[in-house]
Amino acid sequence: MPVVLTRLSVFASPLALVLAWLLLARFGGFPAQLLVPPQEVYQAFVELLQSGELREHLANSLSRLALGFCAGALGGLLFGIAMALSETVEAYCGPLFHVLRQIPSIALIPMFILFFGVEETFKVVVVAKASFFPVALAASDGVKGIPRRYFEVAEVYRLPLPSLVRDVALPAAAPPIVTGLRIALSRAWMVLVAAELLAADSGLGQMIEMSRQMMRIDIVMVGVVLTGLVGFTLDHGFRLLERRLLRWRDTP
Amino acid sequence: MTALKRLLRPWRGLLLPVLLLGAWELASRQGASQAYAFVPLARIGDGLLELLASGELWLSVAASLQRTCLGLLAGVCGGFAFGALMASSPLAERLLGPLYHALRQVPILGLIPLLALWFGSGEFTKVLIVSLAAFYPMALNAFEGFRNVETRYREVGRLYGLTPLQRFTQVNLPGALPSLSTGLLQALAFAWVSSVGCELFLSTGLGLGNLMMNAETGSRMEVVVIGVLCVGLLGYAMNLLFSRVSQRLLRWRAPRPGDSR
Repeated sequence: MPVVLTRLSVFASPLALVLAWLLLARFGGFPAQLLVPPQEVYQAFVELLQSGELREHLANSLSRLALGFCAGALGGLLFGIAMALSETVEAYCGPLFHVLRQIPSIALIPMFILFFGVEETFKVVVVAKASFFPVALAASDGVKGIPRRYFEVAEVYRLPLPSLVRDVALPAAAPPIVTGLRIALSRAWMVLVAAELLAADSGLGQMIEMSRQMMRIDIVMVGVVLTGLVGFTLDHGFRLLERRLLRWRDTP
Repeated sequence: MTALKRLLRPWRGLLLPVLLLGAWELASRQGASQAYAFVPLARIGDGLLELLASGELWLSVAASLQRTCLGLLAGVCGGFAFGALMASSPLAERLLGPLYHALRQVPILGLIPLLALWFGSGEFTKVLIVSLAAFYPMALNAFEGFRNVETRYREVGRLYGLTPLQRFTQVNLPGALPSLSTGLLQALAFAWVSSVGCELFLSTGLGLGNLMMNAETGSRMEVVVIGVLCVGLLGYAMNLLFSRVSQRLLRWRAPRPGDSR
């Protein structure tokens, strides 16, 4: 019984929040338009789901995220590895990289809008930028962090290069890189939602912004909850992947 | 020749930025359509002088910084208290932890429309958003810091018969300091980004974000570029300042407790 209680206590505070919301909406004396009761939010969610509107916005957002993230992460991976392996690349590109890294992606949104317009390109570029830097940094650190003695042992065994890369370098550098990818993905999602809030014709962020202008708080809340859920799912999925990929490692 | 090479070696990192700037300048001279996006470097300089002379830049920077500091203060205090509470009481952790982790998933900037509808688009909403952005990392790090204070230190504290307040100030707080300073650093970064972010969205009031957004609607690329540079520079400067200060304050615990065993 106590074990069950402990398990259930996980839900205590979220449930309490929903209950407080319910009670406040009913008896708090706030206008229902401002503090929308939970059941109306749920209704809005069902309506959006049935009309297919929600699926379209979600699909648009996620496809932008996938495109931008793949481009940014791949570029970051290659650049980071190049920077770790070659001193020349590091000497020439390192300073610029570390300066540009300091600029928050959000601050670049107005600049990118002027460059690329408010079309699709702009959002993909923002996402790619947001994913490039964390991945590049993680890849560079990860490759640099491979202990030198691994290579020495590999040399003693006269390991051929493909096998060296596959069996020694990749497993050793993978953990920080996977973590970097996860951080990049959650940042990219946040920046994408921000970009869609500012300028878009579709997507989850645009849905929120549109409904805000029409004072449809119920849809705004559906959007906010969904944004959180997507962020959580992406992050959690990556964590599971991380654990699965790295399960061969001894736990420290 | 080799002497020249050696002389130039430390400056290799400057080659790429200079080339990029040159390409930018070149692109700006390719006719009016290009100059729209790639403003000539001279125009950026002029714009900077103009903004400085009119005081617009100072006002914007001051407004953004003030907002960040206010929000940071509120968020850090709240996060510290919340983290300490969760670390000190398992019941509080079990009850509040899940809610905290669930709410943490919602991107702060996604909350702006909702909070703007509830609280208006004035100063209060902005400070609230900034303080929320600072709250989450601070709470997490405070929790971990207090949680991971070494048991043997606590036992010593108990042995000496310290009162709860003494135990807090002399055992737990010093033990958690490194983690707290990490939390503060993260909170600062998040607060700064979200401060600029919420200024981009909520167009009333002053701030670097407002400056950039107004410039964007007026297609004044030079002002946008100056804004971006300011945001990057100020963020970097604050980060440097904080990490230097915390390094100095924490220099007494150079060896980490786990290493010296």
